[in-house]
Amino acid sequence: MSTARATNEPQESGGAADVAALIPMLRRIVAARIGQHPAAEDLVQETLLRVLAAEDRIEPGMLEPYAIATVRNVMATMWRQDDRDARNQHRIHDPSEPDEAEEVVVASEEQSAITEALRRLTDREREVLLAHEVSGRATQSLAEETGSTANAVAAQLKRTRARLRVEYLLALERTEPPTDRCRAVLMALSSADRRRQREVDAARHLLECDLCARLSQPLLGRGPVRDNEIHVPISADPDIVAARSAAREMAVRAGFAGADLTMLATAVSEVARNIVRFASTGEVTVELLEQPRPGIRVVARDTGPGIADVDRALEDGYSTYQGLGLGLPGARRLMDEFNIVSETGHGTTVSMTKWFDTKGRG
Amino acid sequence: MNSGPALVSILRQGDTLVASVHTALDDSEMVRFQHDLVRQIGEHRARGIIIDVAALDVIDSFASRTLRSIADIARLRGAVTVIVGIQPDVAFAMVCLGMDMGEVPTALDLEEGLAYLSRLRGLGSSHG
Repeated sequence: MSTARATNEPQESGGAADVAALIPMLRRIVAARIGQHPAAEDLVQETLLRVLAAEDRIEPGMLEPYAIATVRNVMATMWRQDDRDARNQHRIHDPSEPDEAEEVVVASEEQSAITEALRRLTDREREVLLAHEVSGRATQSLAEETGSTANAVAAQLKRTRARLRVEYLLALERTEPPTDRCRAVLMALSSADRRRQREVDAARHLLECDLCARLSQPLLGRGPVRDNEIHVPISADPDIVAARSAAREMAVRAGFAGADLTMLATAVSEVARNIVRFASTGEVTVELLEQPRPGIRVVARDTGPGIADVDRALEDGYSTYQGLGLGLPGARRLMDEFNIVSETGHGTTVSMTKWFDTKGRG
Repeated sequence: MNSGPALVSILRQGDTLVASVHTALDDSEMVRFQHDLVRQIGEHRARGIIIDVAALDVIDSFASRTLRSIADIARLRGAVTVIVGIQPDVAFAMVCLGMDMGEVPTALDLEEGLAYLSRLRGLGSSHG
């Protein structure tokens, strides 16, 4: 057979004939997955190329299974590529023309919002952005012009795009943000910069500011999907149970077991209840920690009246409703780290952490 | 009204009510459970109540306060309450939280709970 043949031999070889015999099957597989997609034939040819290139490594009789696996990979790669392209598509200039009257109106609104957003950038930002996105100039050539590096230009472009998104959303709403912090928070979200989001306490701001909560929706999906963090909105009794189940699930993934799980869930229950009782709305965030060691961080934020005397609230037996007064002090005892910040009139943030490998417990 | 499977079942066995909690209860469900149980003490002229909490994965300050309230109210209505089935991890967390069941008697499981009630009855009546 053709197992020892080099791949760059003439196409009339027996191997190529074997490979050619795969074509009908490959076409069927591709058609079954993507139908009459314009790329269908390209995928078949791409697969054939790969099979031909690998032919001398394929054991006799394994040609068909190899081709099937390859065609699947080729199709999966195409999906991923399409996905990424759609996500990263440059949207400043959209050459397609809207048909319906409604679409025309929407398009013109979007157009004026984009124009307004572009206007709000600095001249320099706008110049570089347009040179890159519209004229298609490479970051390298832009860098040479200013004596900078391609990476620096790319980073600057990233910031500019993040700002453009924020300004676009604001222009579309025809509104100015109510507080000084809004832009900083929206910028941190738009650039998917988690460190910055923490610095400006974005999560709390979104609870407090209706405008930012609304505008942040399209921005929150940016950046890599994080499955090591859950947000549970808290406004009623069932949310308490939802929050502690979420914490428990996350903790199981972190490797917690037994009493640690129950202690964590109980502490979450206490802080979530405080939100329902005193603040009426807020959220509980459960985050899986890997540094400095595995653990779970729970942050409960609310926009309630705040706690006037935090020290007293942490005393056993102090309760302003008909509780046992064990909520906060109890939660503190159940967790390894506990921190509470409260501002009268603004709300309370309770952060608490439980480490996986505590006190050498088995 | 509540749809889906019952969160709590209350069964009568002689003059004892056996209340089994089947799933995690939120605060308002806990309060509803308290009302249902207290009402049924009168309806069934119950002398003993067993609350099986084996299915609860968390007994926090509110849940334990409610359980204690049930026992207090039941006592005023002439019935003795025994809490059974507290899971080991839950017991551990309750101790850390600084809670206990106060004066309310507890037992390992349903069987022990019934035995506890019949012992009490044995003490209370002369003809055993």
